[in-house]
Amino acid sequence: MRMLDLLVIGAGLTGLFAAYTAARAGLRVRVIAHGAGATHWHAGTIDLLGYVQNSEEAVADWTQALPELPPAHPYSLLGVDTIATALDAFQRLTAAAGLPYVRPGVTMILPVPNAPEEPISQKSDLDNEVDNDNLGRNCQLISPVGAPRPVYLAPAAQQAANLEDDRPLVIVGLEGMPDFYPDLIAENLQRQGHRARSVTVPLSRITKQRDSNPLQVSRLLDQPLAQAQFTEMLVNLSVAGERVGLPAVLGLNAHAALVTQLHEAITNRSQQDTQSSQSKQAGISVFEIPTLPPSVPGLRLDAALRAQLDRLGVRVEIGMEVCAFHATGRRILWIETETGSRPLRHTARNYLLATGGILGGGIYADRCGRVKETVFDLPLTAPQARSHWLRPLFLDKRGHPIFQAGVSVNHHFRPLDQSDAPVYDNLWAAGSILAHTDPVRERSREGIAIATGYAAANGVIKSK
Amino acid sequence: MQNTTVNSVGLSLNACIKCNICTSYCPVSEVTDSFPGPKYAAPQSERFRDFGHPYYEDDSGPISRPLTAGQMPDASVDYCSGCRVCNEVCPTGVRIAEINARARARIVAARGLSLRNRLLGRNELLGRIGSIAPGLANFALHNSISRKLAASLFGIAEKAPLPRWHHETLNRWLARTRTQRLRSDRKVVYFHGCATQYYEPFVGMAAILVLEHLGYEVIVPPQNCCGLPMLSNGEFSAAESYHRRNVARLAQYVNAGYPILGTSTSCTLTLKEEAPELLDLESDAGTRALKLATWDIFEWLRERLDQDQLPSDLRPLNRSDQPFILPYHAPCQLRAHRIGKPALDLLARIPGLDLRESQARCCGIAGTYGYKTEKYQIAMDVGRELFDYVASQADKSDLDSRGSVSFTACDSETCRWQLEHGTGLPSRHPVELLAAAYGLYDLQARRPAAGN
Repeated sequence: MRMLDLLVIGAGLTGLFAAYTAARAGLRVRVIAHGAGATHWHAGTIDLLGYVQNSEEAVADWTQALPELPPAHPYSLLGVDTIATALDAFQRLTAAAGLPYVRPGVTMILPVPNAPEEPISQKSDLDNEVDNDNLGRNCQLISPVGAPRPVYLAPAAQQAANLEDDRPLVIVGLEGMPDFYPDLIAENLQRQGHRARSVTVPLSRITKQRDSNPLQVSRLLDQPLAQAQFTEMLVNLSVAGERVGLPAVLGLNAHAALVTQLHEAITNRSQQDTQSSQSKQAGISVFEIPTLPPSVPGLRLDAALRAQLDRLGVRVEIGMEVCAFHATGRRILWIETETGSRPLRHTARNYLLATGGILGGGIYADRCGRVKETVFDLPLTAPQARSHWLRPLFLDKRGHPIFQAGVSVNHHFRPLDQSDAPVYDNLWAAGSILAHTDPVRERSREGIAIATGYAAANGVIKSK
Repeated sequence: MQNTTVNSVGLSLNACIKCNICTSYCPVSEVTDSFPGPKYAAPQSERFRDFGHPYYEDDSGPISRPLTAGQMPDASVDYCSGCRVCNEVCPTGVRIAEINARARARIVAARGLSLRNRLLGRNELLGRIGSIAPGLANFALHNSISRKLAASLFGIAEKAPLPRWHHETLNRWLARTRTQRLRSDRKVVYFHGCATQYYEPFVGMAAILVLEHLGYEVIVPPQNCCGLPMLSNGEFSAAESYHRRNVARLAQYVNAGYPILGTSTSCTLTLKEEAPELLDLESDAGTRALKLATWDIFEWLRERLDQDQLPSDLRPLNRSDQPFILPYHAPCQLRAHRIGKPALDLLARIPGLDLRESQARCCGIAGTYGYKTEKYQIAMDVGRELFDYVASQADKSDLDSRGSVSFTACDSETCRWQLEHGTGLPSRHPVELLAAAYGLYDLQARRPAAGN
C-alpha cells in the first residue's frame, strides 16, 4: 500500500484544517482521533485575539496588537501575513461548503442554500489577494450573558449581533429550551447603552417535547412546517427596524435556507410597516447567540470541514486512542492505537499532533501535579508544581499558568526539546497543545487552531 | 504512555465532562423521545446506581463505595440500541454503551426477561431447529399469518427483516466438499457465527475460498453462539456459559497460535471485548488469550496486504465498460473494534470498482433491537440516514445503463438485512465481493463459482 504522507492526530478545528491544507496540496492524508473534536463545544465563531496580557481593553485590531505578544507566542512565530493568508484560506473553505464566515467591515453575506459545489482550487493561497482594508479589525458580538465578546470571523448567522451596529435588538428566548436567558442578555445590553428588549415564545407550536436542547430544536427547524410556523412567530413579534437575536438553533442541515427565509420575512414586514426600503441596506435582521453544548454552530463547522475533507478523499477515523509509538533516532516510524484486541499500527512519513490542550486530551494533568503530553511524551513548558497551576484570583488578568502549559515549537512548528532542537524530524504540532499562549484569556483559540494548523501543514508540504 | 482514560466500565464514568458530544451523535435519541440520550442514561444515572463495582479511585486504587441499595435503572435504558456510536465519539473514553448494557442486565436480574427477548437471545437454538427442515421452517415463519401472530404473541415486528434458513448449513457444505478443501501448514481458524452457519453459509464459503486462495488451510471447529444477543438483552448468566464454552472449544487453536478470524463483526467484537468486559472476565486467562487471537477477517487481510502477501489476480466485477458503484457502510459493530475500515483498503484493490464510503452513523437494526415491535419504527427512522445515502449514490442522469447501484456492501449480517429492507437493493459482505473479484464466487447467485 502507498504510504501516507501525513497522519494528523486530532479531529478538532486544528487537525481538520491542517489535513485540508495538506490534502489540497496533493498530499495523501488521514486523520485519526480519540473522539469527536472540540469544535463541538465552540461558539462557531473564529476568535483570533481578543485580549493581550495585562490589559482589560479588548483588542480592536489584532494586526496592531501582535507586537505586544511575547516572542514565543505562536502568532509571533507566524507574523501577520501568514495568519491573514491562513484565515483567508479558511474563509474560502467555509464559503465553498455553504457556511460562509464574514470579516467585520465587509459587506453582509447571506449563506446560499444548496450552493453549487465549486472545484477545490489547487492554486497557492499566496496567489490570492488578501483585502487589506480593515484586515485586522475585530467586531464585538453578543455573548450568552449579553456581554461583548471580541470576534474576528463570524459565521453569517452571527454577523448581525455586531454591537457596533446601532439597530435596536430584540432577544428571543424559547420556552421549553432551558439554559438561554433572554431577559439577562437584554438587561446587560441595556446597561451598555444598547436599545434591547426580550421576549420569550413557546415552542409548543412546533414540538410536543417539553424540554429540548439546542440541537433538538435545530433539527426541528430543519423541517419546512416548523420553519413556517417559527418564521410567522418571529415576524409577529418583531418591530420595524429591529434585529432579532435567537439562541443558535436556526437549523442544522437547512441552516442557510432558514436564515435567508427569516431575514427576508422580517425585512419585508419592516418595509410594510415603514413604507420605505431603507431597512434593506441595514443588514441582516436575524442573528444567533451561542449556547451551551451541544453547540449547533460548532456542529455545522465540523460538518463543513468534514464534507470538504471527504471531497478530497481524506478519511477521518474517530474512536482511536494512541497507546504507543516507535521511533529510531529523530524519526517516528509508527504509532499504535488501542483496539478491542491488539494495538493497531499507523505508519506515515509525517505526523501532525493536533490533540488539543488539557480539555481536548492532548495534555494530561494528574492530581499530583504532573503534566504530560499524551501521545509522544514530549517535553512540556508547564508549571512544575501543582501549587503553581492557578493564581489565587479566578479572574486574574494575567490568566492562570496551567492554561499556558504546552509544547514549545520552532517557527516551522516542530516540537522542541530542552535544548531547543527539534525532538523528531517528522513531527509537527499545532493548535491548543502549543505553549506560550493562553487561549482562554486571550480569546485566541480558533485563530491559533487555523493559523498554526495551516503553518504546520505547510511545513510538512515543504519538507517533501 | 499516559492513559487519559480508565477503560474499566465502572470507573470510566468519572471521565465524563458532560460535553454532550454523545448526545449530539446518538442516532436513537434523535428520532425518539423514549430514550433520553447517552449522557443522561449512562454516566449521569450510573452515579446513582448501586452495582457494587468500583467507581471511585484514590491513590490506593479503586474503591468500591456503593450508595444505598436498590436504585433500579430507569426503564428507558432499554431503548438504547447498543450501537456504540457514543463510545466512538466520546473524547474522554467513557464506556457509555457498556454502562447501559449493565443497567439492562440489572433490570433483567430483578424483573426477569420477556419471552420475546429470551427467544431473540437464542439465535443459535433457533438456527439449529430451523435447519432440521429449512424449507418447512421458512414456510412456517415467512407468511403473513405467522408474522402477525409473532407480532401479537411475542412482539416481534411484523415487517422486520427476519432471515431465511438456508437449505444447507455451512457445516454440511464443509462436510460435502471435504475432499476439495485445501490442506496446508499455514492454518487459520474460522469463527462463522450463527447467522453464517444457518442463514448465510455462502458468506462463510466466500471467506473460506478467499483464505484458501491465499494459501491457508481453514479450520472450522465446533463453536457456539458468541453470546451477544443475550448480552444485548441483559441475559448475562446465559451469555457467560456460551462464552466459556467458546473459550474452551477454541483454546487448543489459540494455544497453537492460530488466528481466529470472523466475518461477523459483532461476534468477533464479543470475543474480543464485549464478553470479557461486560462479564468481568478480563482477568480470565482463556478469555484473554482468545481476545488477543481474534480478528475481523478484513483486519487480518489488511495485514496480509501490508506485507505484500495478497494475490494480485483481482479482476473487475463489472462487465464491459459499465461502472460498478458500490456504497459501503462500515457497521457500528465494526467501528467499535477501533480498527478503522479495513474492508475499504482491500476493496480499493479491485479494478474498476467505484467504492463509496457511507458516513451514516447506524443502520438502526442494532442486532435484535429493530426486531422488537415497539422499536421497529425507531430502527427504520435511524436507518433513514443510510438509506438516503445509498439512494443518493446512483447517477441519476443515466440510471438505465451506467449509473445504477446494484449492490451495497456491509460487514454485519443484520445490518445487511436491514439495508436490503430499507433500500430494496441486495447487500453483500465485502468478502463476497473479494471472492468474486478472485473469480471464486458468484456474487449474484451467492454460491461458489463453478469449479470451487
